[in-house]
Amino acid sequence: MKPTRTCLALAAVLLFLALPLALYALAPVPGRSLLKEALSILTVLSFTLLLGQFFLARTIPAVQQAFKVPHLQALHRWIGYGAITVLLLHPFLIVLPRYFEPGVRPLDALITMLTNFDNLGVLLGLVSWGLMLVLALTSHLRMRLIKRFHIRYRVWRGFHAVLATGFTGLSLWHAIELGRHTGWLLGGFFGLLALAGIALLARLYMPERPRPAAHAEGLHI
Amino acid sequence: MTIKSIHGCIGCGECVQSCPCDVIRLDPGSGKAVIAYPDDCQICHLCRLYCPVDAIEMSPEKSLPVITPWG
Repeated sequence: MKPTRTCLALAAVLLFLALPLALYALAPVPGRSLLKEALSILTVLSFTLLLGQFFLARTIPAVQQAFKVPHLQALHRWIGYGAITVLLLHPFLIVLPRYFEPGVRPLDALITMLTNFDNLGVLLGLVSWGLMLVLALTSHLRMRLIKRFHIRYRVWRGFHAVLATGFTGLSLWHAIELGRHTGWLLGGFFGLLALAGIALLARLYMPERPRPAAHAEGLHI
Repeated sequence: MTIKSIHGCIGCGECVQSCPCDVIRLDPGSGKAVIAYPDDCQICHLCRLYCPVDAIEMSPEKSLPVITPWG
């Protein structure tokens, strides 16, 4: 039985929105102000949706059949742009509450944070941020790049896949290293999601094994 | 102890420098801030106020209101 659109959409909402929210709530960290919690939730959900991009591509034939390729591409594009916008702003969102509190000034906090090169998590975050920017720009300008460099669409797609995989590995490491809520629950969930997504992507680029001839098996396909 | 926990520390050392009572130290292994002398905390909130990533949580039940010269 083929899964219906509603069934797949419900599964996506559960997996990419409800489950991370539940794991976020279960993280054993003290609660903070509404603004800080809202910003953290926005960041966590954006990262989950970005990991979910692996599943909203050509990787799962059932999803492709249910939603049709143009719709799937549009969904992939808009979720990507939305999530990447939030994650590009995420270093600035961390210091945003400082505008409403006494203590360190937001700009000073941002500079201290971004120039702390001794910390591996910060370095990973900076590299991931750069990769994410390249990912967004090369996706937005893909048609121009293809024309300018005379490359085939498949080559660009391979580049996009490699870039996405590199970004996922580094950003996941950054999230586990520095994330307030990414303990073994949410961190493990992110890890599983990333592994599954990368495995699905890798399957697409594996050389196809020759299929056994139908008549040799006595089958009529 | 008023400092409850430190989550998401980036190891910049701002809290170590701002603490007047030497409560917080940087762990040489992980490079992150740890509550080394919890009993010495005087609840001044300076570590929390100067942490750039807001990593320090205070116990609200033991906290005093922050006293600032500007009200």
